[in-house]
Amino acid sequence: MLKSKKFFSAANRRDLFFPLILLAPALAVLLSLSIYPLIYSIAISLQYETANGLTWGVSNFGRLISDRFFQIAMLHTFVFAFFALLLEFSIGLGLALLLNTHIRGRGFVRAALLVPMMLPTVVVGVIWRLMLNPNFGAVNGTLKRFGLNTESLTWTASPRLAFGSVVLVDVWQWTPFVFLVLLAGLQAIPQEPYEAALIDGSSRWQTFRYVTLPLLKPAILIALLLRTMDLLRVFDQIFILTEGGPGFATETISLYIYRTAFRFFDFGYAAAMSFVLLAMTNVISTIYIRFLQTKEAR
Amino acid sequence: MRTTSILFAITAVLAVCLVLPGCQSTEQPHAKQLTLAVNSGVEGEALKQAALDYEKQTGIHISIAEFPYANLFEKELIDLNSSTGAYDLIMLDDPWFPRFASKEFLTELTPLFQKRGQNGPDDDFINASIALCRKPYQTGALYALPYVGNSQLFFYRKDLFEKYNLPEPSKWDDVLAAAKTIQENESEGGKTYGYVMRAAQGNAAVADFMPIFWAFGGEMFDESGKPIVNSPEGIAALKLMLELGKYSPPGYASFNADEVNAHLLQGTAAMSINWPVWISSFSDASKSKVVGKMAFTTLPGETKSGQAEIGNWLIAIPKDAKNVDAAMDFLLWATSTKQMKISAQRGTPPTRKSLFQDSELVAKYPSYPARLKSLESSRPRPRTPQWNEIENAFGIFLSKANSGELTPEDAMNQANAEIEKILQRGQ
Repeated sequence: MLKSKKFFSAANRRDLFFPLILLAPALAVLLSLSIYPLIYSIAISLQYETANGLTWGVSNFGRLISDRFFQIAMLHTFVFAFFALLLEFSIGLGLALLLNTHIRGRGFVRAALLVPMMLPTVVVGVIWRLMLNPNFGAVNGTLKRFGLNTESLTWTASPRLAFGSVVLVDVWQWTPFVFLVLLAGLQAIPQEPYEAALIDGSSRWQTFRYVTLPLLKPAILIALLLRTMDLLRVFDQIFILTEGGPGFATETISLYIYRTAFRFFDFGYAAAMSFVLLAMTNVISTIYIRFLQTKEAR
Repeated sequence: MRTTSILFAITAVLAVCLVLPGCQSTEQPHAKQLTLAVNSGVEGEALKQAALDYEKQTGIHISIAEFPYANLFEKELIDLNSSTGAYDLIMLDDPWFPRFASKEFLTELTPLFQKRGQNGPDDDFINASIALCRKPYQTGALYALPYVGNSQLFFYRKDLFEKYNLPEPSKWDDVLAAAKTIQENESEGGKTYGYVMRAAQGNAAVADFMPIFWAFGGEMFDESGKPIVNSPEGIAALKLMLELGKYSPPGYASFNADEVNAHLLQGTAAMSINWPVWISSFSDASKSKVVGKMAFTTLPGETKSGQAEIGNWLIAIPKDAKNVDAAMDFLLWATSTKQMKISAQRGTPPTRKSLFQDSELVAKYPSYPARLKSLESSRPRPRTPQWNEIENAFGIFLSKANSGELTPEDAMNQANAEIEKILQRGQ
């Protein structure tokens, strides 16, 4: 009470006026471009079309339960995220450890590794689509040179291979990001713990397990968290590479949401699916943070 | 004191900024300007050219909002839905028409014709094209005029057909037999596949399947509007598609137009269902290894005579357009015989019979007689506002059958169930 009285005192109000004015443009942008659309999308997710026009209700969320396409797309998204993350993390960590040592040509390799990440995702999609073309593409062309039979290697056309291809492209593009974050983390670790470990006679594995890994945890958390959120909303590469096909084999939830909103013009249902995706991303992120932080505190 | 004056200055600047755009919009000249939403592709290019001509002739400025195919639909529907009246004229692909017309988003054209002392569009327009502009199909009120007249054609290598003494295919069974003969015998200097098609999910697979489906007597809906794609005829048609797939290049289950035409241009495939827009590239020696070797004809039949899928671009006036009359003047001018001939010379197929028979144009485009025949006997995609959703679902199952994930029976049964669900939701 006392505080609020002070807050509204005449002198304070004058002091507050100027900062508020300065904040106003930022707040206006935030309100109009983030907050309002967010509230609006909640509203439309709770509206559905009937013969008598729009009606309020949770029918859009109910539809999720019986929508096979939604469930398969969701499953694809998680399988995609799991495999891509697994590969990106293990390769990224390996590279970071390797390039944290003093080997020749380190600077060049480090710089070269970052190139895929710098490219726009759409460009990456187009490049790979051309390379993976079964008849004219570079990948099968190279394999043919080595005398392999590439007849059945239709990278984007057979359901299994297509899924592998989209994972591969993501790994190609985003492993450098994981590598970069982990390398920065490695370089921030001071030398003293290593010296102490050396004196205690720990093996290389023990040093890695009990010194490097725990101290790298903040960087690991950031890398995993950002990649997971990105992977769960993957869109561009898949849209260019396979457009969700063949059939439904590589359709992820973002693609399905896009289709529902802009092709079928069902914004309410698309918004409902988006909120489910948001909720799931939140849950996973929270689990990560809990898991990695408590262990670090221990 | 100083802070107050700074504040005052900031507020004043902000206020001016807010007011300025408002002032500008009120000064807009009346009917001296039209806004046109077009597709950024060859079809839109023709209309853009025409708009420039019109500006020269009448002094009415036409500003063009150009969008790629996929975005055009959403931009237009958002504009129509929110009644912004941003566009005076919109170009639309004919399958979108039922959706746009079902919500009464478009201006009815007949009253505008009557205002000008005419009953409606003249008889020179191809029936199949003008039928697309009516709601309900063929019989109802007129909401658009056809501008680009396309329908599918059957492309084949006439040199190979002559070499193996094959007749021009009139039935799908002939196509299959020809594909087999060509692929088995034609292996010098790299393989030539007998057939090539688009079986990527969505529009591609459906467009390449519909003519086969119709030829076998398949129908998407029965008379009461219930989906019946899993009829014996439908399954037989899909089986033939899969047979043709055996003579198609590997990976065709994810092919789109680019891949199909790359194969045809490279001479690595001998036949396909295709769209007229590709015809000119075959005579371009820098792209084509088959100059002078391609023939273009109407689609084969089977138990029924062959019918192509029609794909016309229409022009309509949105309900909330700001300059309806000026828009109608432009629309009539652009679809007049004289202007359409100019567009046709620039490469856009017309929607008028007389132009498909025009000796000058036929000399320039030898495929015109076949194209007219194909157009006149063509069929539209099923006219339903939910076509996008149905096409998507149907395409997924067709693609699944082609990639070997589902048997033809399972694919058609599942597609039918899915289409039924979509229709129920729409009610």
